[in-house]
Amino acid sequence: MINVQDIRDTARDLLAKGEVRAVIGYRRGSRGMLAEPAFITSPEQADELVWDPTCFHNLSLYLVHDRKFLDHIRKNPGAPVAIIAKGCDARSIVVLLQEHYFKREDVYIIGVSCEGTGVLDERKLAPHLNGAQASNAAFDGDDFVFTTAEGEKRLQAREVMADRCLECRIPFPKEHNAVFGEDKAGRQMEAPFAALTRFEEQGSGERWDFWSHHFDRCIRCFACRSVCPMCYCDECVVDSITFPVTTETTAEDKANRVRWIERSAVRSENITYLMTRAMHLAGRCTDCGECERACPVNVPIRLLNNKMEREAREQFGFEPGASIGGPSLVASFLDSDPGDFIR
Amino acid sequence: MSEQQVYEPRVVAFLCKWCSSAGSDLAGVSRIQYPANATPITVPCTGAISPMYIMSAFNKGADGVLVSGCHIGDCHYIEGNYLARRKMQLIMELLEFIGVEPNRFRMSWVSAAEGAKFAQVITDFVNDLKPLGPQEKLKKAEHS
Repeated sequence: MINVQDIRDTARDLLAKGEVRAVIGYRRGSRGMLAEPAFITSPEQADELVWDPTCFHNLSLYLVHDRKFLDHIRKNPGAPVAIIAKGCDARSIVVLLQEHYFKREDVYIIGVSCEGTGVLDERKLAPHLNGAQASNAAFDGDDFVFTTAEGEKRLQAREVMADRCLECRIPFPKEHNAVFGEDKAGRQMEAPFAALTRFEEQGSGERWDFWSHHFDRCIRCFACRSVCPMCYCDECVVDSITFPVTTETTAEDKANRVRWIERSAVRSENITYLMTRAMHLAGRCTDCGECERACPVNVPIRLLNNKMEREAREQFGFEPGASIGGPSLVASFLDSDPGDFIR
Repeated sequence: MSEQQVYEPRVVAFLCKWCSSAGSDLAGVSRIQYPANATPITVPCTGAISPMYIMSAFNKGADGVLVSGCHIGDCHYIEGNYLARRKMQLIMELLEFIGVEPNRFRMSWVSAAEGAKFAQVITDFVNDLKPLGPQEKLKKAEHS
């Protein structure tokens, strides 16, 4: 069990000694039980930090934002930023480090192990509360305890945990400067890629029916892109609106830019967007599940990324976010890569 | 009585400059007969083909996409086709995953000396595409 006071003490110490310029963590949000990202810059604020089953955000996104902001104001980072990272979050930081997005010494990773559980899926919780609103959530061994107006509600964590946490193989942040909680790697709640395997048992026709339904529903709000720490490109290939326009950009330049995908939210364009995104995340996605959580129309984006992750693992023996010095999936190859499909 | 139009699949063929493009040339100068359904697009190397090209070709109405380059070990840029092998496998798996017929995407190695093989690859591909009919799944809807 992680004592949240330990996390607060560490954060306070780091800030008081000036070893870090900020701590990115979680604090109680303004809506019910949900935690929200917190940016702590003074030691007194450290007591705001929380750690509970609603800490589902992948905070490494804010390391990317910080980096972009520093570049924008042309300032050197100076002291590092501390960040609270779960197993999957720490792996996404490793991918960012692999890609030299920032340096290892620019970030102080306060790892938190999910131990035997994981984070909550709000959609799974709703039916258990019969319409009541929970005001607090807490870890307790293999259970989650929710506080509602009608008293405490104890639920087995596996009933309300996010799918990705059930399938998680490595709930412990291997890359860290400080770490809390036990390493319970090897716990098996569901087989890895269980949801994907179940989905793939369907025939090609059913798969298309499923996906065409979801591709029709995408509204192209780009929430999945905004929430993803790996989607850090300044110019997104799928969205011509992000091309920088300077005083030197002529109308002709603008008109002649390659538009791979139209902006209208119609099926064919949504497919190209979501498929391209899945390809760009192949070997980089660490399955933090934020895209699917942020999606306002519940497109199962995670399935696409999961598919890529499994192919990379099975065909090329590739594990995303395994080590900082490791190769990237699509910029490396092995002689033993399969080639039977090539005529 | 109107004449029944025969369906001819449209194939977009990404050919590498050093091998497959020269191979297609050889098929031509050797006067080998093969279906005229493929639109060749020459690229510097198969390793330079972004999966985005393939999605884009389907998006703009291709019935099938062919990627063809040098045999493993023969790449002009030493390792381009090794990289392509990985990327193309991933996009192939992804297309199949969402329910696109596996026969719509094909990859082959055709060297500059294999004119006959190039003709065979195109013939086989077109024969496999014909029963599938027009590709409507990924195609951009036409504005009325």
